[in-house]
Amino acid sequence: MNSFPTTGLFVGGLAAYALGSISGFLFRISPATARRAGCGFGLLGAVLQGISGLAALLGSSVEWSIPCAVPLFAYSFSLGAVSAYFTVALSLLAASVSIYSFGYLAGMEKGVESGRKLGLLTFFYNALLLSLSVVFTASNAFLFLIAWEMTSLAGYALVTFDHKSEESRSAGLLYLIMSHVEAGCLLLGFALIGQHAGSLDFHALRQAGGLLSPPQQACAFLLFFLGFGIKAGVIPVHIWLPAAHPVAPSNVSALLSGIVIKAGIYGMVRVFLEFLGVVPNWMGIAVIVVAVTSAILGVLYALMEHDLKRLLAYHSIENIGIILLGLGAAMMFQTAGYPRLAAFAVIACLFHTLNHAVFKCLLFLGAGSVLHSTHTKNMEELGGLNRRMPWTSLFFLVGAIAISGLPPLNGFVSEWLTYQSLLAGFGAEKGLVGLMFPIAGSLLALTGALAAACFVKAFGITFLALPRSPEAENAQEAPTTMLAGMGILAFACFALGIGASWFLPVFEGITRELVGVSARGDLTLAHGFVISSGTPHGGSVSTAVIALMLLALGAIPAWFLARRFAVRRVGPTWDCGLPGLGPENEYTATAFSKPLRMVFAALYKPRREIQTVFDVSPYFPKSIHFESEIEPTFENRIYKPVQAMVYWISLRMRAIQAGSIHAYLAYIFVTLVILLLFGVRP
Amino acid sequence: MIATVVSIALQLSLVLLLSPLVSGIIKTLKARLQTRRGPGILQPYRELHKLLRKGMVIPESASWIFSAAPIVVFSTAALVSLMIPMISAAAPLSLFGGVLAVVYLLGLGRFFLALGGLDTGTPFGGLGSSREMTISALAEPAMMLAIFTVALSANSTNLSEVAHSAIGQSWRFLAPSQVLAFAALFIVLIAETGRIPVDNPATHLELTMIHEAMILEYSGPYLALIEWGAWIKQLILMTLLINTFYPFGLSTDMGLLNLATGCASYLLKLLFLSALVVLVETTNAKIRLFRVPELLAVAFVLGALALISTFLF
Amino acid sequence: MHFYQDPQFGERMITLMAALVLVLQIAMVAQRWLVTNIRVFAAQSFLLAGIATTIAYFNNAPHIYFVAVLTIVVKVIFLPVLMERLVVKIELRQEIKPLINVPLSVLISGALTILGYVVAESFYHPEAGTTPATLGHNTLAVAIALFLIGFFMMLNRRKALTQVIALLSLENGLFLAAISLTYGMPLVVELGVFFDLLVASMVLGILVYRIRETFDSVDVSKLRRLRG
Repeated sequence: MNSFPTTGLFVGGLAAYALGSISGFLFRISPATARRAGCGFGLLGAVLQGISGLAALLGSSVEWSIPCAVPLFAYSFSLGAVSAYFTVALSLLAASVSIYSFGYLAGMEKGVESGRKLGLLTFFYNALLLSLSVVFTASNAFLFLIAWEMTSLAGYALVTFDHKSEESRSAGLLYLIMSHVEAGCLLLGFALIGQHAGSLDFHALRQAGGLLSPPQQACAFLLFFLGFGIKAGVIPVHIWLPAAHPVAPSNVSALLSGIVIKAGIYGMVRVFLEFLGVVPNWMGIAVIVVAVTSAILGVLYALMEHDLKRLLAYHSIENIGIILLGLGAAMMFQTAGYPRLAAFAVIACLFHTLNHAVFKCLLFLGAGSVLHSTHTKNMEELGGLNRRMPWTSLFFLVGAIAISGLPPLNGFVSEWLTYQSLLAGFGAEKGLVGLMFPIAGSLLALTGALAAACFVKAFGITFLALPRSPEAENAQEAPTTMLAGMGILAFACFALGIGASWFLPVFEGITRELVGVSARGDLTLAHGFVISSGTPHGGSVSTAVIALMLLALGAIPAWFLARRFAVRRVGPTWDCGLPGLGPENEYTATAFSKPLRMVFAALYKPRREIQTVFDVSPYFPKSIHFESEIEPTFENRIYKPVQAMVYWISLRMRAIQAGSIHAYLAYIFVTLVILLLFGVRP
Repeated sequence: MIATVVSIALQLSLVLLLSPLVSGIIKTLKARLQTRRGPGILQPYRELHKLLRKGMVIPESASWIFSAAPIVVFSTAALVSLMIPMISAAAPLSLFGGVLAVVYLLGLGRFFLALGGLDTGTPFGGLGSSREMTISALAEPAMMLAIFTVALSANSTNLSEVAHSAIGQSWRFLAPSQVLAFAALFIVLIAETGRIPVDNPATHLELTMIHEAMILEYSGPYLALIEWGAWIKQLILMTLLINTFYPFGLSTDMGLLNLATGCASYLLKLLFLSALVVLVETTNAKIRLFRVPELLAVAFVLGALALISTFLF
Repeated sequence: MHFYQDPQFGERMITLMAALVLVLQIAMVAQRWLVTNIRVFAAQSFLLAGIATTIAYFNNAPHIYFVAVLTIVVKVIFLPVLMERLVVKIELRQEIKPLINVPLSVLISGALTILGYVVAESFYHPEAGTTPATLGHNTLAVAIALFLIGFFMMLNRRKALTQVIALLSLENGLFLAAISLTYGMPLVVELGVFFDLLVASMVLGILVYRIRETFDSVDVSKLRRLRG
């Protein structure tokens, strides 16, 4: 593939993103131009980068580097298999979100300061795409960190885009604080391993793993796990995610939840499997424990949410947990000396990364369409949208089925792969550690079933039954460009699910890069129709056959009904004898999740308050006021004490704040002298 | 290829014909045990016949989901029934979906049924959907643990492989892991098929019903499809119990004699399990909804114990 | 060889019954009704007698038959009858209110079982060849689990009578360990243990009755009022 201009296309993509950024800024006097230029260049960049990523993934990897005078720094890029894979995922999402944004942002053209707003939005949107594609392809830690910080800052600007609302501002502040902690951890981590490698180039870091002493390795692991964990939103450092993702404009939320948090996964995969050398077993166990906790608590908190976008944000935490299950298993298999199993677990982890990116992006775009046409994301005010917005509703349903891990869509395939690698772990590890795998598997089953319950609620309450507010009553279908953006992703859900057995060979280069073996031969059976678990009789599944058979078996009764039993009368719904079925006696999201709130009361600590005002008789209440909330456990138990401590320390620190310029100069001077002495000492 | 098509057709017709019968047997046995005469074991066929002929009333608030749900429920159940060994150890579609596909396909059916319940907008539908999803979510981990126990001792998640390996080992059915996993899966069977003490299939009292509340608005052929789907699901879970834990008589080849013994022993085992279900239903009272998690916690711990036992015994 | 002479069959039966004993122990944790609890205990003791008989049969140790019979007489018939009468007498049919809710205590019991297995595993050295059989190792794990769960149940329950049941089931664990590891302790020791148990149960029974007479309740957490 030497003749194929992979590098040129990639750089062209970067340039397109940069142009999109600049043009958004330049055309801020004309909102429509800013929107078209921003989205158009975004789309162009995504297409160019997608092609170059695919070329690198299927062909040979590409590397190039521009040296720089600054020590340890170089503009070095590498489109190896892993980088190319993440680039393709980013491009797929960027392309569909850009198409979606043509329509979505059109609504913002009216109103005051629309030009400035749209200009800024497209500026930061393209900047986010630009910096993220550099994060995925940088092969120098300095460049990686710079791009990482740019991503965080662009993300901050987008989260606080609606800066007039108090909610956005406080969410943005939280996001910024957590991003700082995360960047600090990563800086220290790279400094630690870079010191041993003598260089910050990724090639050198790969060799550094064996040189670390066990305490240093542990230290590096904890720093990276915390740093990348915050970005990925694992529990307990997740709190910024459900606050920040929902307040951004929906197209941006889709990117944030779809691909930006995957930068954390990318980092973990790189560092844990490549840079740290042979990791001790406890690191894998730690990753699995955190993964299971994130998965279960993520979905449990999602169940209690009635804000559509926040519900989706909590599901990102859950899915990051599922992704990390594969990564933790891969780390343990690699240590135990089973590279083929490790390759299988890596495939599970990375395939779920892509799948989650696709369906989460789709769901956020769907929520965006709902928000666009009803101006609310509170599920209790929605309902009945299936008839008013049929396409949006259909696409959202596809996403809901995929995220619940139901066959034959893509979520099922990657969860199946995860289950199989967990089952293999039972045989690979001895003693209690071996027992951990099937138990993690059963908790994954709990997560999956709860996710299904949650999406029955999310789809059922939002799109089915009767509208619960005039806004929902008068909802209109979204414009074509928005539907097209969602349609691409819904198609991808089907393609990656039903076509999974033909897609999996793509991972050959990736597993060779990460764990040194190719799992291609074991993965598929029967001319690529069937996905196999890698061992001869281990287990197999074929989403293609399942889809085909479902279609065939469903067609028979459908045909039967259509032909013979055409007697369909539409009649009034049973209203329990009350005069007419109205929105007030429909089941609500709160009611739907009530049984689970009771079952898991120990976690939620629900509080409720009912006030009834009577008129004459206690049987005829005039009005009932109901209030219910659950305790935000992590905020109260972990973050409040930390906050109090920081505040306490800050109060003590105030003593050195003299307010005099001389005092400050003296501090700087003293520090400088101490540092100089420190440097002289050896 | 032709053999596969023939075996698909045979097993499908077996499932379609047998599932109402099992339901009829359970109903009649239960009635007899309560010294009632009961409707007779052929009643479910009569019900199907009647419902399929009738017209149907679609609630005016429903959308296309309401009409799609019965078809999805029926087709997923029918598809799953082709993945599990019934008379012969080789199930027609075993290669294309193991036990995980079975669980998740049943999940797909439940997903649509719950949406169908919500689609009508009545409080009953929502109530049924909410309870059904809660109970199935809590039953899922217990079910998976029990299934993992079997899958791990057979080293495969393909049910035909599981059955083959179970046939090969003498006394395996006495191993504690198998007995405990059986007990766990039996509780799951009770919960998933909506039987006493979890749900009462005969009630139409609004405060206690789960499954019936969800399908309250369905009528005519749609109701027939849903009922049929539920019967198939019940047959699937029962077959899973008897054939993975007690694979006596499962035919390992396509010889006519072996198939005949397989058939006879399968029916016999089904009868035994139905009797067990009836016994449990008759001797217990329905428990409160919020006591169901206790039962399912017991099932989960049984499953975990089963897993620990494979590991040590 | 008939299947009932096959030692492998015997081993299967013993491990199966041991597992069922464990299940009944967890059922006791999950059960709220006093009378049912007593009956579950009786069933558990019956299974233990079954294990003893099987061991006696396959190892030709006739004195264990005697232990089995004694178990049936004391733990399956006498003590349960005594306790049921006590239940009737103090009119305590209502539900037991454990300190920790049922699902969680069932999950804790599961965790204690894992602990039991881990402890038993550390005693198991097949290469040394000194332990009688794998049989001992498996049932030892169950025995330790029984002991731990019994102890947990004593902690978790409020009523004096259920604490007696918990104590008895705890003793069942010790009994199982004894017969499976050593194929029965000397008969004198067994007899002594049974006698101790009998006396202890009677004393506790009378005590329960007295507590009830004095405090109108058998809730042991109310005994704190005795403090001066």
